[in-house]
Amino acid sequence: MKVFFHALSPTLESLSAVSGSHPSSNSSRLAVETRRLTRVYKTRRETTTALHDVDLEVEQGELFGVLGPNGAGKTTLIKILVTLLLPTSGEAFVDSLDVVRDYKRLRNRIAMVSGGEQAGYGVLKVREQLWMFSQFYGMDSKAARRRIDELLDRLGLAEAGNKEITSLSSGMRQKMNLVRGLMTDPRVLFLDEPTVALDVGAARDVRSEVQRWMAEDPTRTVILTTHYMQEADELCDRVAIVNRGRIVAEGAPRTLKASVDEDVIVDLQLDPGTPLLDRLRAIEGVGAASVREEDGVDRFSLLLADDAVLPRVMTTVEGAGRRVSGLVRRQPTLEDAFVKLVGRSMTEEEAG
Amino acid sequence: MGVAVARQLSGYRAAVLLGWAVSSNWTRPILFIAYSLLRPVSMALILAVMYTVITGNAAATRPYLAFLIIGTAFWSFIQEGVSEFANGILEDRGRYHILKYAYIAPLGFPIYLVGRATSKLASAAASVVIVLLVGAFALHLGINPLQIDYPLLVAACLLAFVSVIAFAITFSTMLLAGRDTNGYGDIIAQFLYLFSGAIFPISVLPGPIAWIASLSPLPYWLELCRRAILHARVYQMFPNMSDGEVLLRLVVATAGTVLLGYILFRFTDRRARRLGHIDMEVNW
Repeated sequence: MKVFFHALSPTLESLSAVSGSHPSSNSSRLAVETRRLTRVYKTRRETTTALHDVDLEVEQGELFGVLGPNGAGKTTLIKILVTLLLPTSGEAFVDSLDVVRDYKRLRNRIAMVSGGEQAGYGVLKVREQLWMFSQFYGMDSKAARRRIDELLDRLGLAEAGNKEITSLSSGMRQKMNLVRGLMTDPRVLFLDEPTVALDVGAARDVRSEVQRWMAEDPTRTVILTTHYMQEADELCDRVAIVNRGRIVAEGAPRTLKASVDEDVIVDLQLDPGTPLLDRLRAIEGVGAASVREEDGVDRFSLLLADDAVLPRVMTTVEGAGRRVSGLVRRQPTLEDAFVKLVGRSMTEEEAG
Repeated sequence: MGVAVARQLSGYRAAVLLGWAVSSNWTRPILFIAYSLLRPVSMALILAVMYTVITGNAAATRPYLAFLIIGTAFWSFIQEGVSEFANGILEDRGRYHILKYAYIAPLGFPIYLVGRATSKLASAAASVVIVLLVGAFALHLGINPLQIDYPLLVAACLLAFVSVIAFAITFSTMLLAGRDTNGYGDIIAQFLYLFSGAIFPISVLPGPIAWIASLSPLPYWLELCRRAILHARVYQMFPNMSDGEVLLRLVVATAGTVLLGYILFRFTDRRARRLGHIDMEVNW
């Protein structure tokens, strides 16, 4: 049974506060623990704080999501946890080992797969590259070959196993990289945006395999970074929402969505016209508003305090001369929770 | 302990196979073999022609031709070693995007790097034999396999091998700091070529540079190789030193190189982790 250390409540205040102190008595059961983890990048021109006092606890056996816009600090967190990058200050432990001091021992227990990159030796065949990595992890050669065949088969790559990596599609290459991460049976697997730039089918295969791999052994832990809200919602036991290097909320997706349960969530589709976002945000009772342009129309998402706010919204829209082409009231998503916590959508955050 | 060593060896073997696959896959096997044979032969013949034009192939200068050819033959170890370590690490990061995965694997980064470069070092060993054969049969240098002092040759080469690897690992890890460091391995190899006593004695260098060169193991290694193969029939860089004295200097210089390499590697490795160089986006 998973034990969550933070008493989560659906209120915004408590969601923001849960990233605070952590009892250390249960640390032996933690797959990942960070304490005031901070990472600062300095160049001649600027100083950027990618992670700011991040406190995180992930239980063994959890599929834990780190959710946030591009540039939020997700990849930096993963890099520190897999011993690629040193923190500027603070501490981080994976499987109870310090990522700075015990990094050599830790490397036997972890694996990482990053999405959105063309990683792989093009001149090698798929099985050759996977076998090579199995040897870097000290696996028995025959056992490694069996495991590779099994995983390739499960991911629909059995025939591609004897192809050169250069001939693989992006989706196939990403699946191959997932096999690389899974085959060594790490105690903690780090997946950094594993489905980014994949087509729907390939992304679904990757997600299914991750779930199946987790189900095989309840002690396995996965840390998944993503900026796909739906992916986090579908896969993760718990999620930390990260923005500008800080954890702004943490909890089960259901709990996070519950933070916007009392709001009325409306999607408003408008034909192009006068900018409206700031005027909508200024309406009393509009908790948060975001907009994205899609297929030539503006799609607004509004969090309203109650139904009585909607007429005021419509009046403002009409006053701006904008034509409404669609209006839907819907269930809350993690994106809504993010908007409520941060005040802006992930797309707006990414735009800076 | 035994299991751990066996695991390291299997990882090393995989890295060797990787290095071979990457370095030999750019063309068909027959062309690769032809290239591997012709490159050292043409290098030796070019030097021999230059020597002949300049000296008129006078008998008195024959010991210097032997100096030149043997130095050039063994130089390929350094050329291939230094450049392959550097090219391998940069290629894995910039071209294949795989360095970070190899870096965090339990095998150990230095072992991975050595394995990755081993096939090139092996082809360098083959090129040594080829150039020496050219020296023996085409240039009539008087090389007799039965008269070679093999213990001295092997001892010298082992020590040089250790120091070249120590230097190459450290140097290649340093290159991770840059975004445009492709080709630096070849540049530094050429730089070392001038200061190692491969084609001229280090005593002809300006005083301070000659002193710096004398701290390197390379001149002592090449001197011992020449003496082991041709004894007194080759021009000597250190005529006042016995074989034992040159060997001692090689041992001391190798120990210094390894110690310095270890310290610098620890520093550069940590710096690479601190500054995020291992998976840095680079211009490739």
